[in-house]
Amino acid sequence: MTDQNQESKDTQYDSELDAAGRSLSEALKISFVILKIIMVVLVGLFLFSGFKTVGPGELALVLRFGEIRGLGEDRLLKPGLHWVLPYPVEEIIRIPTERKIDLPIDSFWYYQSPSEISRGPKDTTRPGPTLNPIRDGYCITRSEKQSQTDSNSTGSDYNIVHCMWLLTYQIDKPEVFFRSVYVEDEDVKPGQIYFNVMKESITPLLKCMFDDAVVATMVNYTIDDVLTSYSEIPDRVEKLMQEKLDRIESGIVVNVKLTRSTWPRQVDDAFQNLVRASQKRQAAISQAKSDAKVTLNEAASRAQEKISDAGAYRMKVVETARANAEYLQKLLPEYRKRPELVLQRIYLDAIEYVLNNVDEKVIIQPTEGGKGSELWIYMNRDPKLKPKSEKEQSP
Amino acid sequence: MKNIAITIFIVLLVAVLVLFLVSFQVRETQFALIVTFGEATSEDQIKEPGWYFRWPFPIQRIHKFDSRMRILEVEVTETPTKGDVPIIVNTYVVWKIAEPLKFFKSVGAVVYAEDYLRSQLSNTQGEVIGQYYFSQFVNSDKSKIEIKEIREKMLSALQRAVIDDYGIEIKALGIKQLKVSEDVSKAVFARMIDERGRRTAETISQGDAEAKKIRDDAIYKEKELIAAAEARAKIIRGRGDAEAAKYYKMLEADPEFAMFLREIDAAKEILKERATIILREGSWLVSLLKEMPNIKPREPSEPE
Repeated sequence: MTDQNQESKDTQYDSELDAAGRSLSEALKISFVILKIIMVVLVGLFLFSGFKTVGPGELALVLRFGEIRGLGEDRLLKPGLHWVLPYPVEEIIRIPTERKIDLPIDSFWYYQSPSEISRGPKDTTRPGPTLNPIRDGYCITRSEKQSQTDSNSTGSDYNIVHCMWLLTYQIDKPEVFFRSVYVEDEDVKPGQIYFNVMKESITPLLKCMFDDAVVATMVNYTIDDVLTSYSEIPDRVEKLMQEKLDRIESGIVVNVKLTRSTWPRQVDDAFQNLVRASQKRQAAISQAKSDAKVTLNEAASRAQEKISDAGAYRMKVVETARANAEYLQKLLPEYRKRPELVLQRIYLDAIEYVLNNVDEKVIIQPTEGGKGSELWIYMNRDPKLKPKSEKEQSP
Repeated sequence: MKNIAITIFIVLLVAVLVLFLVSFQVRETQFALIVTFGEATSEDQIKEPGWYFRWPFPIQRIHKFDSRMRILEVEVTETPTKGDVPIIVNTYVVWKIAEPLKFFKSVGAVVYAEDYLRSQLSNTQGEVIGQYYFSQFVNSDKSKIEIKEIREKMLSALQRAVIDDYGIEIKALGIKQLKVSEDVSKAVFARMIDERGRRTAETISQGDAEAKKIRDDAIYKEKELIAAAEARAKIIRGRGDAEAAKYYKMLEADPEFAMFLREIDAAKEILKERATIILREGSWLVSLLKEMPNIKPREPSEPE
């Protein structure tokens, strides 16, 4: 019984041992399976992490062991989904190449406190009599050549002008840009967009180079050029800046616009006066021009009149002469036959015509034994006669 | 089978770990310097990107340097020019690490390099600007402006100072701001006001003069035009007279009669209107009014 018991105990122990071993090996087996699954998942994730998208307007470079991969066109990945070997073998660098970034430049504008800015352009606060070189921004322009004075004296050979600009830049050569322009890419924290980091990193560089180009360009122009030319000066600044950017191999292209320019507020009155004077001058000239036009038009019509009068005279003279000649020719045969009758007829016709037309006829009887007749005539005694005759003449 | 898979996995893992210990990457934007037991020669500089092997720490240490261009500005400073006129300039440099070994040995880190550059730049600035007159910065005569030369001179002076000893390359140097002191700005304003005042007066008188000239021109042209028209009119009249003269020849057939006809016409024309005729006794009309004329029919002598 005890043996049996012992035996059964043993078998029980054996079977317990067996069960433990089995469950252990089973657990191991399961954990191996889990490990395998984890491995597969990890490998899968690792490989999957190689999928990268390049957004629209971007181009991407692939660094294999830190070196830009590919040749020719393959060096740049176009927008879309791409697979690259996962980190640390390959890395992808996206660079926005299509995007044009605006950078307003106000470093040449006078200082305005926030309250001044909020009051807008109608701000009428009196500016101080000077410009603080630390706080206020401005450009120095050369003077007109005529005001030649001692070339070493101060305050005599240049003007001060304020201006605002808009610089627009774009990354033109992504590879060159990536290789040579410092961007704090080490510090791109999760959630931060590379684009913004890049923008922040290169803004100081662009601002410095732009300001430099402006300073160097403006000394070649006068204040009036700056105030009036909104194309030539920005073009020159742009060219100068582009040259500089190309020389340092930045891979950036820029476009420059002059958005505002003005004279210092301290000299506003004097400048306004000149503007008004110019307007007055323009007005005077255009008035003179229109006067001249009137004069010339009148002269032209008078000249025309003179010529047409002459033409009329010519016609009349010729016609009269011809009529007279023809009349004579017609009358001549008759006259030669009966000179007296013809003469008398013509003479009496004329007398009749004249006497019919005269306004008044006065017949004077000679006084008997007198000294002769005496006659007083008051000329123009009837003022109504004049208008009547005028009326006849006018048509 | 299972064991083989596990082994491969472990081997790979170890291999990767070992690789991390004995190799490193140099990016396109970097230079590296391998320092062995604190020593490095110019051959230990790595300027090409790629994957490199190394001895693990502490035998070798790797220092990486960003090889891209950086910008450095100096504070606005008032600098006297030749002739003691102060000018306020603000310069900047674009620089990069060119020689990692020299850079590592001399300054070591970007912050120190910037400090050094800043002091060098303000020295150079003072030195170079002191050699030029203010009028060479801005001048009414464009050809006398030498900003470009001043900049070039500063650049080359600075380059000399930093490239050989510090492994720094200056890519560009520029003048960011060009200003005058506060007192001078006041003087500039006074002069600008004067200049505008003068130009205002000039503009007004110019405008008057131009307007007068335009009017005078018009009057001159008018006179010219009228004179020309008169001349032409005279020619036309003359031509008319000449043409008429042809007909006068026809009158020569009987000049006396022609004259009579002309006189009659003239009388008609002259006495056409506004005339008062005073008839004296004895004129035929009066006698006609007085009595019947005494005439008798004539004997027909010749047939018509």
